[in-house]
Amino acid sequence: MNHGILVDIAFLLLAVLAVVSGWRVFRTDSMVRASFFLLLSFIAVGAIMLLLAAEYLGVAMFFMMGVEMMVMALFMVMFMMNPAGLNPMVMVHQHRISMGAGVTAFLVLGLMALLTRFPNRPLPAGLEPVASLGHEMLGGSMLIFESAAVVLLATMIGVVVLSSHRGRYGAANEGSLPPGLAPGGDPAGKPKEDQDGGHEHHHHHHH
Amino acid sequence: MILNEMVLPIIVVLAVLVGGAYSVAVMDRVIATRLGAPRAGNPWLSPLTRGAWLLVQQANVTEAPDGRAWRLAPALYLALAATGLALVPWSETLVATDLATSVVLWGSVEALATVVIFLHGWSANAPLALIGAYRYVALGLSYLLISMFVLIGVALPAESLQLTQVVMSQEGLWNVVRQPLGLPLFLVVGLGMTFWGPLNLADSTDLAGGTASEVSGPPRLVWDVARAAMLVAFSGIAASAFLGGWLGPWLSGPLWMVVKMLAVLAVLLWLGRVVPRVAPERCVTGMWVVLLPLAFVDLIWAGVAALWQ
Amino acid sequence: MVAMSTTIITITRQALLARKEVWMTLVTLLLLAAALIGIGLYGALSQQSFVMLMMGLELMLNGVMLAAVAFWALSGAGAPEGQLLTIIVMAVMAIEMAMGFALVVAVYRGKQADMTEALSELKQ
Repeated sequence: MNHGILVDIAFLLLAVLAVVSGWRVFRTDSMVRASFFLLLSFIAVGAIMLLLAAEYLGVAMFFMMGVEMMVMALFMVMFMMNPAGLNPMVMVHQHRISMGAGVTAFLVLGLMALLTRFPNRPLPAGLEPVASLGHEMLGGSMLIFESAAVVLLATMIGVVVLSSHRGRYGAANEGSLPPGLAPGGDPAGKPKEDQDGGHEHHHHHHH
Repeated sequence: MILNEMVLPIIVVLAVLVGGAYSVAVMDRVIATRLGAPRAGNPWLSPLTRGAWLLVQQANVTEAPDGRAWRLAPALYLALAATGLALVPWSETLVATDLATSVVLWGSVEALATVVIFLHGWSANAPLALIGAYRYVALGLSYLLISMFVLIGVALPAESLQLTQVVMSQEGLWNVVRQPLGLPLFLVVGLGMTFWGPLNLADSTDLAGGTASEVSGPPRLVWDVARAAMLVAFSGIAASAFLGGWLGPWLSGPLWMVVKMLAVLAVLLWLGRVVPRVAPERCVTGMWVVLLPLAFVDLIWAGVAALWQ
Repeated sequence: MVAMSTTIITITRQALLARKEVWMTLVTLLLLAAALIGIGLYGALSQQSFVMLMMGLELMLNGVMLAAVAFWALSGAGAPEGQLLTIIVMAVMAIEMAMGFALVVAVYRGKQADMTEALSELKQ
């Protein structure tokens, strides 16, 4: 019995799901819906990875992207107008150029896929994908893997510094100015502004 | 052959899904009565009565909800519970999904549960439901890391991410003894991912039902069944990861699993009835400041023990 | 009873080894990846809001990861570096998300802005 047909049906369905939900990301009125459409696209690609015998990577896609898209949806509701999608909304610029760039990218990459002859070397029959990945990560490519870990740590520190409400010299929304050189003097290392200089702290109002 | 390999697993999972959800409902009522709550009907019949009542009740509609997502969210949560149940090994060969990375797949079920519960609260387009959804995300992001460290801890002695291997590594000594911090921490995760009892922040009474506050009728029935089924799936994973799964003398493997799952369920439901609900901000602080470092300790413990052998 | 997943994965691997299937080939997988990259590029260029822009980038990386795994499984004879590349792309996505959101928070605090046009002065 040729089971390959089952693999094909699954692949085609998942491929359509990945593309359609990826497209819907930019065609929906609600930001939250957009992030969950993106999650759907990731899940479809993860399932295709499982079909390709990448057992760890496919499953890792599910949980990595589950958490990432959850955080994304939270940010959507925090920052965006119209998070619930009750009003139709178009927030795009340079629409035609972008459309052209997207189509060009697809055509160029697609032609490359169609015209190049890639070597036909499938997975060896006895390969254990998970063990092979583990030995590579903590063996031959350990330096690369550990550098990724260090970069992640640096990211964590950077993110906390960037987004922390408390600046080095006090709360961010109160100006966060360094103390004066003399007691009660002007903030150190800060040029005087025209009108409201003096002993009080500067308050910057942008709007 | 294809029937045996493709259809039988589905039947097993569905049977456990239905039977497990029912037994959760019965056990919860029995425990409540034992603890002195006013007796509300026959514990064997009243879950069925409530189910039938919800089935004929009309489904509530809010103003401008995200209709598809709102109706889909309970079904998706049920599907996640079924996925979790499919990972539970009943014996060495009786496993629906014996993936080489089944422990990681359980982690993704936990992560996606956060998404689905948020979707359930958000799509109703109602304030209390949205607050419940937000609270759940705060809780979910807190327990996910704890769960991952604890699960890596049980994968270390097994030298595998496969749940059947994890069970077999407990032949000599169960993980509940080998890693004493593991099971208590994992039980907290279980209460969190089904937002049960003390960790019921999403659907709590102070939010008039939270994410489910606007849901009635059949969708509500699916939501309640899905929560109970998720509790069963969790107890299956906990029994396999810490209580030796199908291993045990006298009884056959699947029976041992049923006994151990019922024991985990009884502890969870009892905790749900006797521990009061934690305030959301305290819950998040406690998880990050106390429980997450404990999970680190558990992982280091497991790692050192694995190196020792 | 043998596990369903084992059966499915065995079937898939046999099919991939025998190259019996008609549709799931390296070319179709790469076309799918190209489509995802194209849509992602369109999104990254056309969206005004920062977070939507980041979604475009993520969709492009989705295609990249699919292409990497496809090469690993069908053309690279299972060389472990192919899987490692995908792991690194996942780490890059996490870093991109975290830094992106931190910058959005910082910018929003300073300017109450969450759209690219509001930061035109960054061009200078």
